[in-house]
Amino acid sequence: MKNLLLLVLSLSLTLSLGMCLTLFPITSQAQDHEMGDMHSHKGHMHEQMVDGKALTVDADRFDKFVSDIAGDQIAVISVQGMVCDFCARGIEKTFGKDNTVTKIDVDLASGKVLLAYSPETEIDRAVIEKNILNNGLNATAIQVLGK
Amino acid sequence: MANSNADKDNIYWHYTPNINYSVGLDYQQDKISNKSFPSARFTYLLNRKNTATSQRNLYLSTGVGLDHSSNYFYALSGDWETRRVFAGFSAKQISGIGYDLFEQSIKLGVAPYLGDYGDLHTWLMVETKKNNFDDKLITYPVLRLFKGGALIEVGYHKKTDWDVHLMYRF
Repeated sequence: MKNLLLLVLSLSLTLSLGMCLTLFPITSQAQDHEMGDMHSHKGHMHEQMVDGKALTVDADRFDKFVSDIAGDQIAVISVQGMVCDFCARGIEKTFGKDNTVTKIDVDLASGKVLLAYSPETEIDRAVIEKNILNNGLNATAIQVLGK
Repeated sequence: MANSNADKDNIYWHYTPNINYSVGLDYQQDKISNKSFPSARFTYLLNRKNTATSQRNLYLSTGVGLDHSSNYFYALSGDWETRRVFAGFSAKQISGIGYDLFEQSIKLGVAPYLGDYGDLHTWLMVETKKNNFDDKLITYPVLRLFKGGALIEVGYHKKTDWDVHLMYRF
């Protein structure tokens, strides 16, 4: 009797879990993903934990961005309001004037801006945030890799 | 920026010192009064709301003539957009150009595909206008294309003919 109850209980749990996975598939609105998904085989810089938090960025795009900038520091900026290419032009223009920035990538799909800085640069997050704000957008998170 | 439609041709240059406002010079050839009007324009961002997937704006614009004429305008406009959907409105009062004009419009659009940064972006839009001259709503399709710093918008209605808008961001 006891074994029968245990069997019914385990079957019920299994059935419930299966229904949950079927009815509520795990999807992502944005194209960036948590570090548990390792799509890239080129390198694993994007796996790095930053400030105790997982780095959320499109792996393939990130790998492509860092492929020719060995040694540089990378700032990954999450931006709100960046829904229009025409409007995001100002970001590229603003950071392009900074001679410590060696490369810029604007990812509209994930709302991320990637900035590469020369290794000796002291990255000022407040300046980055201000530059984003001066373009009418909001920086909600700034993660720095590489130093 | 340049516009051309059945009512007017105009060319407009503006400078944005910061996100809160822009100032500009406008030269308009009015086809109804057959007069030309240089004017100074000022646009103020009343409100903006950014989210991870959208941006919403509300603007107040005004302008005055520079040729000793008494022409002026003021307008309230706004928009909300995501990468896929656009909705905008405008209400504009123009006076002193030989007649008074109050024009209202609504524009809705959808992006048939989501381009990456630097791609050619396309919007399929519908605009509805109404003014005090003709109390009827005029609705027509608009095609918006932009790539890099260049934007072109083209609409057509058999009553109002072509409506073309060109913009370049320096």
